[in-house]
Amino acid sequence: MPKAINYKANSIVYFRGDTSENVYILKSGKVSLNYNDIETGQEMHDLIQTGEFFGVKSALGKYPREETAVVLTNATMIAFSVPEFEQIALQNTRIIMKMLKVFSNQLRRIHKQVRNLLMTGANTNDPESGLFKIGQYYLKSRKFKQAVYALRRYLTYYPSGKYASEASSLLEAAENGTTGNMRNISHAAPVQTGTQLTEVAKAYYNAVSLFSQEQYGEALKEFQKIIKDSQGGEYEAKAQYESGRCFFNLNKFDQCIKHYTMMIQKYPKHPDLVDALFYVGNSYERLNNKDKATGFYKKILSMAREDMPVYRKSKKALKKLGE
Amino acid sequence: MPLDLSMFERFAVTYQPEDIIFCEHEPGDTFYLIQSGRVQIVKIIDEIEKNIDILQPGEIFGEMAILEEAPRSASAVALDQVKALEFNRENFEILMKGTPQIALKLLKLFTKRIYDQKRRFLILTLNDEQAKVADVFLMLSETQHVDNPDEDEREFKVAVDDIAHWAGISPERSRAVLNHFVSQRRVEIFPDRIVVKNINDFARFVKSKRRQQLSD
Repeated sequence: MPKAINYKANSIVYFRGDTSENVYILKSGKVSLNYNDIETGQEMHDLIQTGEFFGVKSALGKYPREETAVVLTNATMIAFSVPEFEQIALQNTRIIMKMLKVFSNQLRRIHKQVRNLLMTGANTNDPESGLFKIGQYYLKSRKFKQAVYALRRYLTYYPSGKYASEASSLLEAAENGTTGNMRNISHAAPVQTGTQLTEVAKAYYNAVSLFSQEQYGEALKEFQKIIKDSQGGEYEAKAQYESGRCFFNLNKFDQCIKHYTMMIQKYPKHPDLVDALFYVGNSYERLNNKDKATGFYKKILSMAREDMPVYRKSKKALKKLGE
Repeated sequence: MPLDLSMFERFAVTYQPEDIIFCEHEPGDTFYLIQSGRVQIVKIIDEIEKNIDILQPGEIFGEMAILEEAPRSASAVALDQVKALEFNRENFEILMKGTPQIALKLLKLFTKRIYDQKRRFLILTLNDEQAKVADVFLMLSETQHVDNPDEDEREFKVAVDDIAHWAGISPERSRAVLNHFVSQRRVEIFPDRIVVKNINDFARFVKSKRRQQLSD
């Protein structure tokens, strides 16, 4: 049975490094979770709200506590064993959905942080060349069926990519290889049509590929077409953001500013909002409008989390401007 | 407890042995729940196909697609004839609300992924390549079952390229660092495994490097 436990101020519910057994929900009082930020090493204190669960991740994941839970004022909480917690969660889907949302945000964030660090390393690998190389690898190791899959995928996503003509000829070789000994390949492939991309997605990836080849004018045309054709929807928003980046890279700073101002009005909650603001600030800087640039960079600092690359970039830019 | 998934029959997809379900680097917007057959997760690292994991019926894969439409970080290949349910972000909510058991399974998977990624992040934040490599071994030892915890020596079924991948450095650098450790007699390299002579020595080494870095 879950049980209510009273804690005196300044006591500890658990220490970092402890084996995780229970999940807690705070009924009353104040509890703080203390830990060191993994990036800066800075000591962090997160206050738990009344009614909030804590200690969930480490208990469910069966790893040691990552934080120390300190009781600030006399507090009451309910402790659940993991099976007890699972039972109430299964009866109350809302709890799981809410936690899924929180955890997926955390996962997305840490994933991005890891990727950012890997990007700066030597083994940067853009997805376009990556996919092509996999096709190449399978063909070389005479795994024709897999080669056909990877190369077809490459040509679907990057019909005018930098390896497109090479991929076509490799695909032909792979298909010839398969017809020699495994005739059933062409039957196996259509099974996966469920995962085929929509036309707009294809167009989008094609445009992204042009952008990565620094063909900004061409890419811009494609993105603009997507905006016109898709009207609303996920890809329009993405294409809007990418269009602004094209303007910036084409040194059309006025248009970049105008474009993003329009986008922000249309999508006030755009996922790339802060990055867009950075391009606006940077455009003003290039146009020698120091005040406006400073204003935008400062705005970014007030909106972005300290661990976001755009935060550091803005900070650096401000320093350069003598702020 | 067996789950009744008959209502999701329309999401079912089947694959023949060796079929690629999705390929590393391709953009992903679907994730899968295996109903029958096994699925192998592989990654091609330096012209070698590496096994990352073999998944059984009841397991979920491709779940990062729920969060973001990023390129797949590995390939999924059918080992047997595989029947799986294929979901995307649109029908994700229906699935989760209809079958809280799957939602809970996914929640647990996320906790594990967050932990793994955080641990990986810590390796990558080290500036020193030797410390990075040493920390990869520490990470591997944390999830390894040991018969005798008092024993300092640890054996890992990994290759030089695996270490490079985890440490975020090139295979050449990884080999150079490992050779340096070999010359110091801290490590022995075999074709199928790498032996760390004293894991606690590595722990002290990484700890001091990390402290030094924070005070810089």
